[in-house]
Amino acid sequence: MLDFVVIFTKGGVVLWNSQTSGINFSSCINSLIRGVILEDRNTESKYFEEDHLAVQFKLDNELDLVYAAVFQKVIKLNYLDAFLADMQFAFKEKFGSIPALERLGSEYDFDGEFRSVLSAAEEASSKQVKAPKAMRSYNESQKSKKTVASMIQDDKKPVEKRVNIQESPTQPKSQPSSPPLTKQDIIQENRRKLREKLTPTKKAADTKSAAKQGASEKAGKKPRVWDLGGNSKDAVLLDRSKDSPEDVQYQSISNELVGTMQGVIPDLDVESEDDVDSEEASSEEDNGSSQSPALKKNKRGGGLVSYFRGIVGGKTMSLADLQPALEKMRDHLISKNVASEIAVKLCDSVATSLEGKQVGTFDSVASLVKEALTQSLVRILSPKRRIDIIRDALECKRNGKPYTIIFCGVNGVGKSTNLAKICFWLIENDFNVLIAACDTFRAGAVEQLRTHTRHLNALHPPANHNNRTMVQLYEKGYGKDAAGIAMEAIKFAHETKVDVVLVDTAGRMQDNEPLMRSLSKLIKVNNPDLVLFVGEALVGNEAVDQLVKFNQSLADYSSNENPHIIDGIVLTKFDTIDDKVGAAISMTYITGQPIVFVGTGQTYADLKAINVNAVVNSLMK
Amino acid sequence: MDKLNENVREKKHIKLGEIDSGPILVALLLGFIAVAIFVILRRRSAGRRDFLLTGLCESGKSAIFMQLLHGKLPETFTSIKENVGDYQAGGHSSVRLVDIPGHYRVRDKCFDLYKHKAKGIVFVVDSVTVQKDIRDVADTLYTILADSATQPCSVLVLCNKQDQTTAKSAQVIKSLLEKELHTVRDTRSRKLQSVGDDDVNKPVTLGKPGRDFEFAHISQNIQFVESSAKEKELNTLTDWMGRLM
Repeated sequence: MLDFVVIFTKGGVVLWNSQTSGINFSSCINSLIRGVILEDRNTESKYFEEDHLAVQFKLDNELDLVYAAVFQKVIKLNYLDAFLADMQFAFKEKFGSIPALERLGSEYDFDGEFRSVLSAAEEASSKQVKAPKAMRSYNESQKSKKTVASMIQDDKKPVEKRVNIQESPTQPKSQPSSPPLTKQDIIQENRRKLREKLTPTKKAADTKSAAKQGASEKAGKKPRVWDLGGNSKDAVLLDRSKDSPEDVQYQSISNELVGTMQGVIPDLDVESEDDVDSEEASSEEDNGSSQSPALKKNKRGGGLVSYFRGIVGGKTMSLADLQPALEKMRDHLISKNVASEIAVKLCDSVATSLEGKQVGTFDSVASLVKEALTQSLVRILSPKRRIDIIRDALECKRNGKPYTIIFCGVNGVGKSTNLAKICFWLIENDFNVLIAACDTFRAGAVEQLRTHTRHLNALHPPANHNNRTMVQLYEKGYGKDAAGIAMEAIKFAHETKVDVVLVDTAGRMQDNEPLMRSLSKLIKVNNPDLVLFVGEALVGNEAVDQLVKFNQSLADYSSNENPHIIDGIVLTKFDTIDDKVGAAISMTYITGQPIVFVGTGQTYADLKAINVNAVVNSLMK
Repeated sequence: MDKLNENVREKKHIKLGEIDSGPILVALLLGFIAVAIFVILRRRSAGRRDFLLTGLCESGKSAIFMQLLHGKLPETFTSIKENVGDYQAGGHSSVRLVDIPGHYRVRDKCFDLYKHKAKGIVFVVDSVTVQKDIRDVADTLYTILADSATQPCSVLVLCNKQDQTTAKSAQVIKSLLEKELHTVRDTRSRKLQSVGDDDVNKPVTLGKPGRDFEFAHISQNIQFVESSAKEKELNTLTDWMGRLM
């Protein structure tokens, strides 16, 4: 049932494979390498899926090998973990003694051992399936977990639930969970159910329609006014671009708000779960901080001993040895504003890549862990494809199309400011820019972009550029459909031979479904060259949630097979954090996309590119 | 007995007083010279002796590496780590051959480790897809050529996969790359500054700024040859390496 098993070195050379079918699995293995191992996502579950195939792999860090087994995704093989471990053991036994220099050159005849290991694993798994399920021990059962007090039944206690049932006779159908009933109630319930069964639908329908009528009679029918929707009739109300406020008539004033904000502003009403969570988190942190000095002391003593042991060298590292150093690294990363999930995953991946490695002379476990973590951080931050916007824009210019960039993100991260900075950079490099104002919701968004346009055109007057206005603004006021405005803007740019189109969208929360739908529609309809997610460097664990949900929405709500997801990240407000640069890691790890721009201030010149080494150095300081 | 002791003491005094500092100084000087010669020899031998195999993903670097060193041609996947081996050709001494992974994420870090000891750089190009990927190829080649540590190296651009019918010839690839590198040089100069810029590796501008880019203008000695790893035709590569060793 295994399609393909292969053993290859980390340098990419295949040492042995089981060629049972003629199909070439190299594309599957290559995607495994590029998608998982190089992205540092090799955590505990060493499993990867692509099309209809799935791959389970195991890294051998001592000999720098990878063992991979490819099988059909629909078949669940539960013996693979043991199988790969046995394969590794057998391979090491047979070929472990070959010195490093000759490893690539020697012949590897492993077929016999492979077949025996495979048959042993299959037998073991079939035995396990046939074995009867073991009975639970007392400690595992539910009874031991109950306290004595909860099991005492008190018949004399008044059942308050009974009173509730009698008070609200119109609700029983909608209540799925019935409170504990006494004997009489049970008999009544059963009689009712019997009656229902005999007269099937009439009574249920009657009660339902009665309930509906009651509800509708309470409030006369009112048309629903959605906050986020609207049609062109509202455009007159919302259009602020005419600068004549007295003409506008306010039809939908919400008068109920007047008078509610008198006096002291009430405190934030946080739900109790959040309070509990935050309390738990803070207590954990306290525990952690009280533990860490104790741990540090232990580690200092332990560090000295392990250092001496490290001098002797030759010790193989196990997961237990790595744990203290990894925990310290993880806390350090979290203190540098890396999202906690990401820090955990990174440390797990470093653990799997170091497990089984030999500690050399004059190395300590801590230094090896730090080195491996630095390497994986550099790998994560390095872009996985070439980013050169000017080159791509030149290419598009040569083909006669405009190069389109769409900026998206949550509220208040700096989309419009950084759009203006990027626009300035582009016009400095002699590109014609059209800004499309697709933020039709926020008050003043169009005016903001108009001010930037005027300012930029004053800095680069048409006289210097062959009488061509360098920056133009395409706007249709407020309340209109953003996707339509963007489409018209791109068509306009195409006709007037504009080089680059920058589309500014409204800020939106990641779990606001109608807004995410409209963003996905904007991207799908206009097919941009680059979709940039703007995120601020101050964000902490929220970054993970934002990016995951944005990517998910773009993938889900697009009807294409290859949806256009986020292509790059703009990291803003970088000057506000001095060395707590962890947000960069969180964002690039989650999406796998590179950081294209870094915003470091409020003026037009405060736009920089990312320097991987500097960021990693300040993270590991 | 006392006289003997006195004689001994006198002899001792004489020895302490008359220590000839000459031989000691000469010995120290000789020792110093020996250590200095040793260190200089070590540095010279630790100088540039490596050949690097670089290029994009899927261009055939690991295959060429296996072919040269072990004469075999197994299947290869994307390299995660570099492959290092000793290459021996004819009567020359052995040199170290390093196969740098082509994947973007690991390429730069790995290249930085080995570039200071490189004598020759082999840039492997997939002749079939070079037209489609010309921008990536040119970007990588520009990074290698513009690095200050590779200025004294010789560069060989190996147009691999010539066994395919749609492979372009070396001349065509040379002119394609010249045109593309001209544009890349232009856009690189307009790139943004990095956050926390370090002046350690300031890149060198290639060629003569005012005129079109040509490979004859750069400081490295660059050549274009064809090869095919599948057909075991690596003679051009081995000749070039033999000439350099």
